[in-house]
Amino acid sequence: MSVFLDSDLLPDAVTRARAGAVDAQEAIYRAFQRPVRTLARRLVPHAAQAEDLAQDVFVEVLQSLGQFEGRGSFAGWVRAITVRRCLMHLRSPWHRGLRWAESLAPTDEDAAPLPVAETNGGLALDLERALARLGDTARAVVWLHDVEGYTHAEIGALLGGTASLSKSQLARAHAQLRELLEPDGVRTSCMPVSTNC
Amino acid sequence: MHARLDELLSLRDGAPVDASVRAHVDGCADCAAALTGTEALRARLRALPPVPEPADDGWAAVQARLAASRAHRRRAARIAPFAAAASVVALGLFAALRWIESPGPSAAAPAPAPLIAVEADSLEVLRARSQALEEVLAALPERPAVERAATSVPIETLEAQVQWLDHQLSVADAGGRAPDAEQLWRDRVEVMNSLVQLRYVEAQRVSF
Repeated sequence: MSVFLDSDLLPDAVTRARAGAVDAQEAIYRAFQRPVRTLARRLVPHAAQAEDLAQDVFVEVLQSLGQFEGRGSFAGWVRAITVRRCLMHLRSPWHRGLRWAESLAPTDEDAAPLPVAETNGGLALDLERALARLGDTARAVVWLHDVEGYTHAEIGALLGGTASLSKSQLARAHAQLRELLEPDGVRTSCMPVSTNC
Repeated sequence: MHARLDELLSLRDGAPVDASVRAHVDGCADCAAALTGTEALRARLRALPPVPEPADDGWAAVQARLAASRAHRRRAARIAPFAAAASVVALGLFAALRWIESPGPSAAAPAPAPLIAVEADSLEVLRARSQALEEVLAALPERPAVERAATSVPIETLEAQVQWLDHQLSVADAGGRAPDAEQLWRDRVEVMNSLVQLRYVEAQRVSF
């Protein structure tokens, strides 16, 4: 599930950080640096760009604390900023130009897979690589929907489209991931084809 | 007919699906297995570990950017009147350059200017443009202490190109090769133009 749910922060930290307390600002950074960096890295597989974006997120969060109205959770607010920043980056002409220059596939060095948990072994490693090989939109949709719990309507709005766009991209992402993870074992019988049982 | 992948995903998520699709999946081993596969893939995605702790302390970098942003805002407030004046001067300079470039009333005359005169004029104009861009560049805020990979690499590449062109220009001037110099000045103006734009973007990003 979303790692944002695991973030722990003292209740008065936001109020104190808003008032300019540096230790409270640091506490916010310490509480959320891992969720923010993880989410940025999942949406933007280029490691250096993801780290840059995570830094952007914290600068924006700490400069915009006054705009947090406390209606939802603080973690949700930070996550929304992270998602918006990453999607803006993926839409930017600079990033698209870079992807084109890299022939739509990041180099092994740039998209070096994250270290895997020992319990996950090679499975996670394969999944990391497969995820990084998806198109930007498909990767963002599958992560936001299946892991972060966004609805199709929310994702569609974030992408400037509709829920249908999100649904079709989710199906595409699943099909591509299955192909990448099980190149020899992909069953074609349940793909959208018109064969009979 | 087998269920489509988007229908299986809807089933998995509890979204509305046609009753015939549900009935088919209940009775089809392949579709039931594919449905389980979508659930398993979601579980694997959720089980991916978070990124490890960074090697360097990212908080220091964030603090540096916050401090730079505050300093920039203070500096901007202090130099706002001067910046406005500089903008007026820059606009005036731009207008003057356009006026120099534009064919005046005499240019309507059919007789073309001598080639050497054109070259001399172009060189002067290109040098003036290059100088104007240098001044714009100098007026921009200093580069941030914490640089972004997205802008710092191209900026450094452009700066290296300017240095290389300056070296070539000094060689061309020493050898008296005016045609070479004209092309080099033209290249320098183009590179300087890109450099100014990138530096401007960089300054905007830091200041937010």
